[in-house]
Amino acid sequence: MVTKPLLILVALIAFAVPIAASLGWLGLSLQYLDSPMPLHRALGDMVWQTGTDFLLVAIPMFVLLGEILLRAGITEKMYEGIVKWLGWLPGGLMHSNIGSSALFAATSGSSVATAATIGTVAIPQIEKRGYNEPLFLGTIAAGGTLGILIPPSINLILYGLLTDTSVPELYLAGFIPGFLLALLFMVTVVIMCKVKSGWGGETISADWATRLRALPALIPPIGIFLVVVGSIYAGIATPTEAASLGVVAAMILAAFNGKLTLSMLRAAVEGTMRTTSMIMLIILAAVFLNFVLSVIGLTQALADFVTGLGLSPFQTLLMIVVLLIFLGCFMETLSMLLVTAPLITPIVVGLGYDSVWFGILLMVLLETALITPPIGINLYVVQAVRGRGEMLDVMKGALPFVVTMFAMVALLLAFPDIALWLPSLVYG
Amino acid sequence: MTTLLSLTEKLSRVLVWIGGMLIILSALLVTLEVILRKVLNISLGGADELSGYAFGIATTFGLAYALFQRAHIRVDAAYNLFPAWLKLIADFVGIILLAGFAGIVTVMAWQLVADTIEFNSHSITPMRTPLVYPQVPWLFGWVFFVFSAALVILAAFVALLKRDIKSAEALIGAKTLDEQVEEETV
Repeated sequence: MVTKPLLILVALIAFAVPIAASLGWLGLSLQYLDSPMPLHRALGDMVWQTGTDFLLVAIPMFVLLGEILLRAGITEKMYEGIVKWLGWLPGGLMHSNIGSSALFAATSGSSVATAATIGTVAIPQIEKRGYNEPLFLGTIAAGGTLGILIPPSINLILYGLLTDTSVPELYLAGFIPGFLLALLFMVTVVIMCKVKSGWGGETISADWATRLRALPALIPPIGIFLVVVGSIYAGIATPTEAASLGVVAAMILAAFNGKLTLSMLRAAVEGTMRTTSMIMLIILAAVFLNFVLSVIGLTQALADFVTGLGLSPFQTLLMIVVLLIFLGCFMETLSMLLVTAPLITPIVVGLGYDSVWFGILLMVLLETALITPPIGINLYVVQAVRGRGEMLDVMKGALPFVVTMFAMVALLLAFPDIALWLPSLVYG
Repeated sequence: MTTLLSLTEKLSRVLVWIGGMLIILSALLVTLEVILRKVLNISLGGADELSGYAFGIATTFGLAYALFQRAHIRVDAAYNLFPAWLKLIADFVGIILLAGFAGIVTVMAWQLVADTIEFNSHSITPMRTPLVYPQVPWLFGWVFFVFSAALVILAAFVALLKRDIKSAEALIGAKTLDEQVEEETV
């Protein structure tokens, strides 16, 4: 019972059928093959209910927020500002790449946009300051992945929707692991530069007066982050409301920089709606598929199958982690999240694990997927922005950070409280 | 054919702007509501419901534009290894399945709206919104999406008959990475 749908899905996806259509047709064919009831009759109502769900309004809001910030003329100044604060560490600008990515990720949420934006600003510096090129490129590719984990993350909203997990709790849970991972990335850079002398390039030291003068450049992104995340944590706003506040704040910021023009808004809106409509079509198909899967009992059958293997909960979890790492080598992250979360989360929760915790673990695995070859979109983005040399350089440079992500996965497995401590503080 | 196609594409762009304006208006409305609620303790109510409708409409209004931009995600791990003829087959199969699925959703959505009109349904909220107002434009977005997809398939097929593979690819082929990156950088 489990193999047939799996084969259909793999065949559709491997043949490059759009993900939304793959999920939708899988749902339609399963209900035709396995269900006595015409489940597709529920489709119209489901598409309307999900398509107007207030929680999901957060998606266009966060995308729009990112699109406006991208055009608000703050990235370069922010990058220069962070250089003053982190440039003295062994590895110099590489730390600024990670720091700026973390900060940019904290406001936008798109890993591709983060890697592309930071890459454009940073890559010209490689030769000028004598960094090891692969490692430098690796910091940009890896730093760009942070957007999935550090709140506000669209992926966490989708996980919350598909697994009935509270999004504010997920946001609280993602906070410490997100910044811890950024810190671990920086530690990785320091270690690599200590081990291989000559990789570190130039360090840039600044005195405290210069650092303080650089602070105003960091205020806009930090301010937006505080508005969005702070209003959620303070209990003032729901994630969607917080995202709306962020959009308005970003527009004010852009206006302040003289960048709020009609043509800018038009470009921002086009990008926003292109992404939103594309994501929503996949979500609608995924919601329908999940409905069919649970009605025909496949979700349960899969859980029974896994339990029947006779592994201990921890072994099962390890198997799932390995499976997800493997999938991540070939699948794009959004599709991977929407396909795996609803199927795997019930199994993991059935084993006695927390669904908030697993959501965070899944996000780290999705981040890994962004920089594991052959299909890791961030690798390609960085290579495309670089525009010369071999793709292999980027893959080599990203490798140490893949190891760091594995370490992060191990940490989450060993100490679930890294994710769960903050939510437990608030929700008890 | 070409004129109809470019007209449709232009209209899809107009729809995206309308959808985008709805989202921006929603952001302003929701922000206003949060501020009034927290600072002045006044509740407007209904901002969540209205922005939900705006979101639903904006989403279906953007579907056709995403199609013209070839933004609907495909996993191209195997695809990139295909020979050119197989890629072309995969492209056609992909868009036909996409249009087909959208077609079925649209028929079901149509039935939903027909029921709404017949029973004069209202939302089960304090606003008791007559659902026909948000649902009709929402349905229009679906219909326009299916129409656009059918048109794109037809145009790609015509191009194929003329042995103009390049034009067919421009309509239905998977996006190269350079194109994707160009979109994300400003």
